[in-house]
Amino acid sequence: MGISDLKISDNSGDILVTYALGSCICVAIYDPKVKVGGLLHFMLPDSNLDAVKAKATPAMFADTGIPLLFKSCYACGADKKRMVVKVAGGASILDDTNYFRIGQKNITAVRKIFWRNNVMIDGEDTGKHFNRTVRLDLSSGRCIIKSSDGTLKDL
Amino acid sequence: MIDSILKSIDKIPAFPATIQKVSELLHDDDYAVADVVNVIKYDQAVAANILKISNSAYFGARQQIKTIHEAVVYLGQQQLIRAVQTAGISKFYRKGGIGYVSQSRDLWEHSVAVALMSQILSRRIQAKEDPILYTAALLHDVGKIIMGEYVQGSFEQIMNRVKLVGCSFLEAEEDIIGINHADLGGRIAARWNFPSEIRDAIAYHHRPDLLMEEDKTNAWIVYLSDQTCLMTGLDGGVDSLAYKGLEAVMAHFSLRAIDLEKSFILLTDELEKAKDLRHIL
Repeated sequence: MGISDLKISDNSGDILVTYALGSCICVAIYDPKVKVGGLLHFMLPDSNLDAVKAKATPAMFADTGIPLLFKSCYACGADKKRMVVKVAGGASILDDTNYFRIGQKNITAVRKIFWRNNVMIDGEDTGKHFNRTVRLDLSSGRCIIKSSDGTLKDL
Repeated sequence: MIDSILKSIDKIPAFPATIQKVSELLHDDDYAVADVVNVIKYDQAVAANILKISNSAYFGARQQIKTIHEAVVYLGQQQLIRAVQTAGISKFYRKGGIGYVSQSRDLWEHSVAVALMSQILSRRIQAKEDPILYTAALLHDVGKIIMGEYVQGSFEQIMNRVKLVGCSFLEAEEDIIGINHADLGGRIAARWNFPSEIRDAIAYHHRPDLLMEEDKTNAWIVYLSDQTCLMTGLDGGVDSLAYKGLEAVMAHFSLRAIDLEKSFILLTDELEKAKDLRHIL
């Protein structure tokens, strides 16, 4: 899947993948009981920036993408109480005195949305300066993060 | 290592004369369509690519373009220069760069994204598009074509340096290999006899703050275009975002964070329209 995209699946043979997150963030959710899960690869924190775009491409923004990701999984039988939630991405440029903290803003946006909705983040690999690729295995719910510095992490 | 790198510069093929000739012809507002068609026609590689990309939504031709003549007529001066540049420059990205990216086309796609972003920002900052800036942006990472294999060979050393010392990927390249990809790109541009505004924009695309020239606009715009593309993950390279952030860029162009966020959205739209440019390789 690409940037500003969202994919869900209830097929336990599927592996969902999204590449090169940069400052963007991937939210991965999974219900182990019904083996339903999904990935969201959003780019910007706040849909107030462009309401028209948010309507056409809700997965572009955290505040429109995250609710849609959850609702799409509920529609396939997933339950909020069982949902395992992982977050990756939000990298930033080096020692930038933060002239354009888009990675940081994205991380904050995700945490705020989950805090407000009483959702616990079960695993997080965010910040730093590297691109990440996220893989979600629908059979086990394993969420593997491959970072461009060569490290592999099982969130 | 540095000697063999500098020697590889001489092995880089000459810059396509077609691009140079077409740019010169189009520089005159009174250009004759037949002259331009003749130049393009005899460069088969460029001619084939022109037809492929001139129908791209990015160039906005209102009718289907089937011949070089139609391309010259319908695209018009500005668009035609860009189409010829894109078609001609793409050949340098057909191989190389492996070491930064896993396939050469990733480096090309990154370059096209930065070129598109340079025009988005130029419209915002200078209220116009700019073919010279477009060329510089399309070629900003040309040094990586040669550097790739050396980075691949020293990847662990470079990455350790980035992680332990906390320096940028650019500085680590220089420390370990002896030259960085931006400087190398500037030397390639010099070998092609490019004007200083393109050469400098390439050589200083990570450090426009070090440039002494009076007019540094191109270098700063290429820098910002590159950084925003790195942030959106439009590179997939091993160097990722490990480059220096220069806060001064915002004041330099009187930009606010919200302007850059909006430019992200515009870029998404343009990338969609410019699919044919990205997939030309």
